[in-house]
Amino acid sequence: MPLTAESAAQQIQDRLKDIQQHIHKVDNERRRAENSIASLVRAQQNPNPKLKTLLQSKILEATQEEATIRAALAKIHEIRNIRNERRIQARNAGNKEAIRRGALMKMVQLSAQTLPLFVGKPGERAPALCGAIPAESSYVAKVGDNVAALAKGIDEEENWILAEVVQFLHRQNKYDVIDIDEEQKDRHVLSKRKVIPLPLMRANPETDGHALFPKDTVVMALYPQTTCFYKAIVHRLPQTATEEYEVLFEDSSYLNGYAEPLPVAQRYVIAYRTTKKSAGSGSGNLSSA
Amino acid sequence: MSGGPAITLKSQPIDGNNSNSGNAAAQQQQSGNNAAAAASSSSSSQASSGTVPPAQEGTRQSSLQRIQQRKQKVFNLPEAQKLAKLSMYSACQFEGCRCTGWKTPQENRHRDVESSYCPEPSEECRNASCRHPLRSHISHLTEISRTSMDDLLGAIIDMENLFMSMQRVEDEDTKKVYLYLFRLLRQCVLTRQQAVIRGPLGDPPFESPCITKAVLSLVFYKYNHLNPTELQTMTEVAKTFLNFLNHYNFESPSARRGDATLTHDDASTYKINYTRWLVFCHVPAFCNSLRQFETSLVFGRTLLRTVFQNMSQQLKKKCISERDRFPEDKRSIITQMPKFLEALRAELLKDDSPIWDSTYRPPNSFVMQQRKRHQEVAPPATISAAGAAATSSSKRSTVGEPAHKRVKKEVAERVVSENLDDLPTDVVMRAMKSVSESKTTNKSEILFPVNVSRDENVKAEEQKRAIEFHVVGNSLTKSVDKQTILWLLGLQLVFAYQLPEMPREYISQLVFDTKHKTLALIKENQPIGGICFRPFPTQGFTEIVFCAVTMAEQVKGYGTHLMNHLKDYSIQRGIKHLLTFADCDAIGYFKKQGFSKDIKLARPVYAGYIKEYDSATLMHCELHPSIVNTQFIAVIRNQSEILKELIAQRHNEVQKVRTGLTCFKEGLPSIPVESIPGLREIGWKPQMRPVRASRPLEESTDPEKLATQFASVLQSVRQHTTAWPFLRPVTAAEVPDYYDHIKYPMDLKTMGERLKKGYYQTRRLFMADMARIFSNCRFYNSPDTEYYRCANSLERYFQTKMRELGLWDK
Repeated sequence: MPLTAESAAQQIQDRLKDIQQHIHKVDNERRRAENSIASLVRAQQNPNPKLKTLLQSKILEATQEEATIRAALAKIHEIRNIRNERRIQARNAGNKEAIRRGALMKMVQLSAQTLPLFVGKPGERAPALCGAIPAESSYVAKVGDNVAALAKGIDEEENWILAEVVQFLHRQNKYDVIDIDEEQKDRHVLSKRKVIPLPLMRANPETDGHALFPKDTVVMALYPQTTCFYKAIVHRLPQTATEEYEVLFEDSSYLNGYAEPLPVAQRYVIAYRTTKKSAGSGSGNLSSA
Repeated sequence: MSGGPAITLKSQPIDGNNSNSGNAAAQQQQSGNNAAAAASSSSSSQASSGTVPPAQEGTRQSSLQRIQQRKQKVFNLPEAQKLAKLSMYSACQFEGCRCTGWKTPQENRHRDVESSYCPEPSEECRNASCRHPLRSHISHLTEISRTSMDDLLGAIIDMENLFMSMQRVEDEDTKKVYLYLFRLLRQCVLTRQQAVIRGPLGDPPFESPCITKAVLSLVFYKYNHLNPTELQTMTEVAKTFLNFLNHYNFESPSARRGDATLTHDDASTYKINYTRWLVFCHVPAFCNSLRQFETSLVFGRTLLRTVFQNMSQQLKKKCISERDRFPEDKRSIITQMPKFLEALRAELLKDDSPIWDSTYRPPNSFVMQQRKRHQEVAPPATISAAGAAATSSSKRSTVGEPAHKRVKKEVAERVVSENLDDLPTDVVMRAMKSVSESKTTNKSEILFPVNVSRDENVKAEEQKRAIEFHVVGNSLTKSVDKQTILWLLGLQLVFAYQLPEMPREYISQLVFDTKHKTLALIKENQPIGGICFRPFPTQGFTEIVFCAVTMAEQVKGYGTHLMNHLKDYSIQRGIKHLLTFADCDAIGYFKKQGFSKDIKLARPVYAGYIKEYDSATLMHCELHPSIVNTQFIAVIRNQSEILKELIAQRHNEVQKVRTGLTCFKEGLPSIPVESIPGLREIGWKPQMRPVRASRPLEESTDPEKLATQFASVLQSVRQHTTAWPFLRPVTAAEVPDYYDHIKYPMDLKTMGERLKKGYYQTRRLFMADMARIFSNCRFYNSPDTEYYRCANSLERYFQTKMRELGLWDK
């Protein structure tokens, strides 16, 4: 079904209305929960035979609250999907808007900041593609997902670039990806091992610290304001869900071989993978006089 | 007549006044009534000036009120009593008498003419040398009008108040000024003239630009990028500041003597300005027979620099102490005040700050908007005694007001004359409003984040103070603060990493050179980019030496914004050209910033000044002095949106479906455009094609005459020695691939045939065919061929021939 700009905007508008209702609901439930806690505290002070039933009903309420919050998050997720769908359709229709580099970088940043956060149920482990947890070897990235792809540039040099999956060619076991940087325009057909899916969820350092790369891990990270991944060392882990890693990129122009710490979002830090030619120092296009 | 003081007022007014001051004092002392008490309490607050900070604004207000009340009371007295009051300061008209004022007889000395006492016209003056009746002191006054009598009485009360103040004030300098003004008023009452202050103090305004203008420029300069509400707040902050300044009691020069940082020159300058302030601004606030000037309108940077520190401290304190008295919606003024004061302080200290440049001028649109807002909103909140001060100051007539009105009128007139053919302002305003409204409900934004202009994000960061721009440089003559040195070091590193081709020593040498400056982009107190440049004011250009943004902060628009800042900085210093040697990676960047390889400056202007580099391209950018580059993108964007909105509005207004045209079916080949229904209604006008200045007047509209002229040109061209390749069409037999390349062949024979058939109805058609011959030739043949040269030379010949007949442009 073609998704026109108007219908996409309409669908998003509907979701936003839903979210608003959810927020009101959450607000009410939170207020009710506060009362419940107060009454529980009271009940504990004066031994009460009904304490058990009281607790049971309160647990039920808390489950409801959780369900509402999750429903709201699901709506946000839907909006992301609609936007993504619309973007893919617009691109396939060939009328993609030319966006400037600056805007592109901003979008790259934004999509990392708004990556859904994994909020597990008690005892639940972070799934694959959450934070540093890699995908299973049989996993196939979906159309529109972002990946790191080892692609050849114009100068025949291989680089890990930020790319988007156009399709997966099952027969050849190859990905068809497109460079995020539209100025490059290149489509690449790459074998599966040259494509690394990026995380689909952020891990919360406060609850799922195991899903983060430990300090001093050698990783590949997207150099800020570029669309290329380079070898780096984890310098500091994010402390909250919204924080970014600080990594040290290999850079031969610095005396110790590493650049100053730079921030990189969880989404753009992935496990290091050796290539034939070990990734050289970061280089991009400098505008300088 | 009688043996009074030998010194007359007229010949030696100073001494004469000296004796009179005693006179007035005596009068003051004898009137022990309410009015005098009011006067003395008013003077007490005056007297406090210079020694006591203006803590008692309320006292000031109430003294003003009391003075006013007393005057009103005197104005309402019966005429006889008024005359009696006047007589005390009026010279005896008796011939030869030198008495300068009637003195109450001994027996009535305890009585006050301002209350119940009304002396008889026959009562004699107590002055031993006079002894003339009251009548002879007022005989010249009976004819004067009621208003001029009231004016005189007002001046008398002012004078009496001044005298009391003089008695109380401790500061010697202030005392002298009061005495001077007292004498002046005394003289004016005596001669019944308007008080005008002349002399070595000079006439206001004393400096240009005045503080008001500079402060408003500052608001524009610093805060114009804010949204309208925030800008409005900053404007009110500025007005509050000005209001505070206008009611600020300056320290007396003696009180400042303790300040060791003041040089002798500073002190004497301050003394002069202090005296000016007393005479023109402060005292007239209480004595309205003197003309009052607003401090902020007559003084400029010099005065503000000297008082700023103390004044801003008091203002800050006041802001804190009066915070709760401020209405909720005005609180933002208080919170913004420290930021504003800091910005103003910085601009005060900078020697080259644009806001103190008398030629600096916010664009008209900004000034008008400010005025408009000023008219719309209530008068600005006053920090001191909210309300009362504002009303009293609006009552007073000041020089500022008429000037202000005049300017406004001029602006309005200009707008009217410019807009004769333009849209009415309210239509444009409506469009602007709906543009700003639609921004908030933009549908496409729901789908994707808006593709904002290149510098929008940067400007937002600058506004939030997440990033800052500073021009820094090393100096050997002045001490350079540690911060500047740290930034310069950081900048040197940024350049070194981003420009690996440049030797590091060379970068250090230039960044720390005293003739070079660097516009630094600071984020979290670290330089993350910058432009190192060297201005050549004598040559009128600035050389850009290094320009870089650190790797991880690139493609965010910082480079663009840096360059715009540099452009504005240069324009403010009267420099209109930027030059740079760009290496191949940088050419793209400089092109985006409006630089071109086409150098419009004459080489002698820069040769020998600019550092030349091999394998780099010289690029030039000319600056337009009336463009604010940091605002440019936003302005253009806005204009385009407003224009779109105007078109859309017009479209809605005129939208109408009409029945289609049938004339073509009926066989008409064409109709004049203006006869299409509806076109004229929506304002379409037949386009008057401007007469081309270059078009020769001789060009005949007569086709026959033209044909003859073309025939003669064609004949001459055919006979030219280089015409041989073009006489006949090229055949495929001779040149097999010719027609693969040439789609529109032309030759002189074909042209002759066309001429005969009457094809060349206009000069343009004829010229187009001829041009085709040459362009075909040059397209097919390479420049080193004989054909190519023939085409060039025949083309020149053709042009000469056309010119001879007046058929060639220019």
